[in-house]
Amino acid sequence: MNKRLMPYYLMTVPAVVLFFVFLTLPALQGVYYSFTNWNGFGDNFDFIGFKNYINLLKDGNVGNAYWFTFKFAVVVTILINIFSLLIAMGLNARIKARNFLRGIYFLPNILSVLIVGYIFNYLFSNVFTIWGQNLGIEWLSTNILGSEQHAWIGIVVVAVWQGIAYNTILYLAGLQTIPQTLYEASNLDGANRWQEFWKITFPLIAPFFTINMVLAMKNSLMVFDQIVALTNGGPGRATQSISHLIYTGGFEGGEFAYQSANSVIYFILIATISIVQIRFLQRREGDM
Amino acid sequence: MKLGTRIAACLVMVLMLAACGAKEESGRVQIEFFQNKPEAKGSFDALIEKFNQSQSEIKVVQVNPPDAETVLKTRVVKNDIPDIIGMGATDTYSLLAQSGIFMDLTNNPLLSQVDETYVQMLKDVAGMDEVTGIPYSTNANGVMYNPEIFKELGLSVPKTWDELLATAQKAKDAGIIPFYFTYKDDWQTVLPFNALASNLEGIEFYMDRRGGTVTFAEKYREIAEKQLALMDYGHGDNFGKNYADGNRGFARGESAMYIQGTWAIPEIRKANPDAPIGFFPLPTGDHPEENKLISGVDTLLAISEDSKHKEEAQRFIQFLLEPENSKQYITEQTLFSTVEGVTQDDPAVAELLPYLERGQVIDFADHYIPAAVQLNSVIQSFLQNRDIDGYLQKLDTEWDKVADRR
Repeated sequence: MNKRLMPYYLMTVPAVVLFFVFLTLPALQGVYYSFTNWNGFGDNFDFIGFKNYINLLKDGNVGNAYWFTFKFAVVVTILINIFSLLIAMGLNARIKARNFLRGIYFLPNILSVLIVGYIFNYLFSNVFTIWGQNLGIEWLSTNILGSEQHAWIGIVVVAVWQGIAYNTILYLAGLQTIPQTLYEASNLDGANRWQEFWKITFPLIAPFFTINMVLAMKNSLMVFDQIVALTNGGPGRATQSISHLIYTGGFEGGEFAYQSANSVIYFILIATISIVQIRFLQRREGDM
Repeated sequence: MKLGTRIAACLVMVLMLAACGAKEESGRVQIEFFQNKPEAKGSFDALIEKFNQSQSEIKVVQVNPPDAETVLKTRVVKNDIPDIIGMGATDTYSLLAQSGIFMDLTNNPLLSQVDETYVQMLKDVAGMDEVTGIPYSTNANGVMYNPEIFKELGLSVPKTWDELLATAQKAKDAGIIPFYFTYKDDWQTVLPFNALASNLEGIEFYMDRRGGTVTFAEKYREIAEKQLALMDYGHGDNFGKNYADGNRGFARGESAMYIQGTWAIPEIRKANPDAPIGFFPLPTGDHPEENKLISGVDTLLAISEDSKHKEEAQRFIQFLLEPENSKQYITEQTLFSTVEGVTQDDPAVAELLPYLERGQVIDFADHYIPAAVQLNSVIQSFLQNRDIDGYLQKLDTEWDKVADRR
């Protein structure tokens, strides 16, 4: 073995082994089980081929979970990016207590999602409803999370509130790469604020826009904790996301193999969406 | 390949460290008692302490993780099954029992010490002739009411379905919330369902449903209608309040009645130690003498088939079954004992005792519905959209789908 390469091997091999043992192997096992009828315990199971996959296509609950998750992910991704870009620009401006405010806006990202969820859960059921009753606002006086039609809005609010923090930091980093001289030059040419944003700021942070869109989309497709803490998929199955369905069906429902098949499909879908998004947005970056 | 051996050595080390977790203490056999009720942790700790001090050969250790049923299932996968398992007689128990992981106790002398009714219940839930668990404590599900409000309004305990609705109407007319519904938690929506389904159609329905000779659509219409009828007597935000809100609300006297299980009593008393509490079975029909109390096995004790200490495990269970210890447990947990002669003296549940003594009880219907059907969310959804046909059809299709996948 080449002596010079030794340190590299020493560093990468353990990482590869750990990654393989703890991530790749279980994933492959999951694929294997998706072709069986294993219930998650016990020794006896049979190979049933593609039956799980066929049943998945026939299962209305699965369709419902995919539909909910996509709607949710698109709305959350758009909202997060709008708000975090606005906040980042605000925090990048010459304002008082800039660093302090940056810290404050980052706080939601540090808090545990579950704890935030439980706090909001309490707010939705026992605080906002009382405000609504006192102010005589009908839609606010019942718990929004208890309504089949509107519960998703509550989850979107919490997911956006918490998701903004991380993306704001990325946008801030992006904004700081823009040289001030560009703005000075455009000022001399008489550009207004609006032109400044669309002609300078936005094109120059395009790579950050790409990564933020992809990350926000991926995170919201994988939404789980917020749902557990806020509605547990309810009322009924109105807010059941795919990962929540996989968890409840697979572990609580004792249908391990069936939900393994679901997670294989889910994995392929997320990977495809992320790749397509990156391809598309990166091409756009080049055009600008 | 020096590097390869080094990595292998590291992995072996890690595995050994993990395996070194539980070793026996010198001279004493250590057995693990795994149970799923967080409320009961303190009570079991006290009993275990007493047991460990009473002799010098066995040491019992309690394990009570959050989300215990799921933890138990994953431990079964790893073949790391606790010596003694305490859990409810649910569909999970049925799945585990059918997988053959529990010791067969069919002719065990321990079984002769407990009430026959509940032993039969375990057989029915598991769908097996062998008995693999010892029922230890049982609960009851019915209508909790506030005796002070009842007295104020001149109400009496309803005996039939019509009387129940009339009582609720009177409370409503007097400006008091008749039922405090806590349907943000989907499992709460199942409580009235259990009372109605078990009483009106019986448990045999599920045996027939497994055989495919009946459907929910044929038999469950009346049950669905009555489930909906109750919804007219809630508060303004039936789907916005959860179990904890309900316990607090009832403890403060905000509602006249509260459809709930006996397990909530300790929680209500935490919110208000002097909360006035009465309890009656949910009347479901026109004949009070036919109305049964919903009562199921709250905790059963099972021994792992793989355990190396079956003898010691049985000694511990024998200890728990001693009248004095059983009494201590049910008093702290407001449950009922399966042991002959051990009575629950809590005045809050006094009205339920005659039913238990006469054996006028029936099991929770949802114990017979596979967990994968996710009955809770089906009912929660139905109570919101009020579509009876859709609901009954959903129960049938979900049941068939799950049966098809098993």
